[in-house]
Amino acid sequence: MAKKKVKETTEKSPKEEPEYVRIKFNQPRRYDWSTGKYLGHFYAEAKENKKIVGNRCPKCKEIWLPPTPVCPKCKVDMGWDWRELPQTGTVFQYTYLVFPLWDPHYGERWANPYASGIIKLDNGVFYRHFLEEQDKEKLKEGMRVKAVWKEDYNERGQGPSDILYFKEIGKE
Amino acid sequence: MAERAAIVAVGQTKYQPNRADASEEELAYEAVKQCLEATGLSLSEFDAAVSCSQDFWDGRTISNMNIQRVVGAHLNDEDKVCEDGINAVYAGMARILSGHHKLVIVVAHTKESQAEKSLIENAAFDPALLRQLGLDFVSAAAMQARRYMYKYGITPEQCAKVVVKNHGNAKKNPLAQAPLDITVEDVLSSKILSSPIRLLDAKPISDGACAMIITTEERAKKLTKKPVLILGASNCYETHYLGDRDLAECEALVKATSTAYSMAGIRNPIKEIDVAEVSEEYSYQELMWMEGLGFCSKGEAGKLIDSGMTKMGGKLPVNPSGGVISGNPICVAGMARVAEAVLQLRGEAGDHQVKNARVALAHGITGACGQHHGVMILGR
Repeated sequence: MAKKKVKETTEKSPKEEPEYVRIKFNQPRRYDWSTGKYLGHFYAEAKENKKIVGNRCPKCKEIWLPPTPVCPKCKVDMGWDWRELPQTGTVFQYTYLVFPLWDPHYGERWANPYASGIIKLDNGVFYRHFLEEQDKEKLKEGMRVKAVWKEDYNERGQGPSDILYFKEIGKE
Repeated sequence: MAERAAIVAVGQTKYQPNRADASEEELAYEAVKQCLEATGLSLSEFDAAVSCSQDFWDGRTISNMNIQRVVGAHLNDEDKVCEDGINAVYAGMARILSGHHKLVIVVAHTKESQAEKSLIENAAFDPALLRQLGLDFVSAAAMQARRYMYKYGITPEQCAKVVVKNHGNAKKNPLAQAPLDITVEDVLSSKILSSPIRLLDAKPISDGACAMIITTEERAKKLTKKPVLILGASNCYETHYLGDRDLAECEALVKATSTAYSMAGIRNPIKEIDVAEVSEEYSYQELMWMEGLGFCSKGEAGKLIDSGMTKMGGKLPVNPSGGVISGNPICVAGMARVAEAVLQLRGEAGDHQVKNARVALAHGITGACGQHHGVMILGR
């Protein structure tokens, strides 16, 4: 019986249309990131006392937010010296995002557009957060803002997200 | 160009199944801090930092951002390798040998407790082909174990002897995660993960960090009475696709070893090396790697373990620390081998000290079935 000959090539050249590897992944992917001692203290103060805290370098006396075990500038051990930060400040720089970004913890898209900025708190420390003002005509550098917290204790415990946004002072 | 690079301090956390009390940054800092305290150096004195971590394990891209503050990376030279920690030591050494840097801090960290091991290992395979075919590092290693045992007649008992030896050595090492009083029968009756690999044939989930300071030979003498010199070092990689190689062989290791030995002037490893720290994520690997390292010829490692030569007190103790099988996280494992070699050469290994160790070998691996090997020869 003659062996059946197998055709060695099926096409003379590669296909022009692309093929894709499809992924369907419905399970949550576990990441148990622990906050540790320093960020853990920041989280606890937000949840328990609605406070923003940073830690202070024993050498240059600069207050760091987010807190750190080593001063990035002096490169010395920070010890355990905590300072409460003011919850009012000035918009230092901002942006107005118009495309929907992914919420990294819940895998959904954030409502958009939204404004966010770097806020210079009244003691000079910078904090990045959402801004309540959604009208891009009204957003401006130098805007005076204050933190608005999640009032329900059980909803807090998410660190920076325990603050909903910074709202313009006097705009009630 | 500097002639030789030297390690002047090492730091390691205790390896534990879950360090939820510390962030990755704090974990790395524990190891870094030990190096600073040992030398009296401050982070502002370093002119470079090299780290090793893995983005999927840390759950973020650029996972070195986790540790940049605790290595003094602000406005400084900083780089990451994402394979094994032994490559970070190699990169640190290269910085010193280049002459551009005088003092380098090196650190590796991983918290295996925080994510899904098999999912991350599966992601190491290419998405178009192997990832879909039911592979993680355990199932890949199992194929290698079976092929190696089949080709060379290595028995499950011989593999189990590695487990008993290493967990036994771990009893003397206060940093080891899993000191165990076990017998060959215990190993052979533990549950199958992926045949022929059983639970006790595999390393446990582990969290930890390791750090070291590398400098020039000249500076090292001023910083410590007991500097450890890197006499030879080499890395070698082989093909990713498992079907492309005979898994019973470790060609990449043979090649890396040959380069490292020739750099260090080693001709007869059994005679010239006093202690070896080898990365065995699975029991069979210690046997295979001993062959690759030239401690015996191909297929002879079973007889080597039977002879007791690699036990504490034997001619060439292998893994006096307890090895990776007693618990080291990925990325940290190879650097921990170097750290253990340093402790041995400095006579600081405490109850697991190998008497009068003068030349030590450290070995690290990355990828499925030892796709990538790093070999380092250290001496005092």
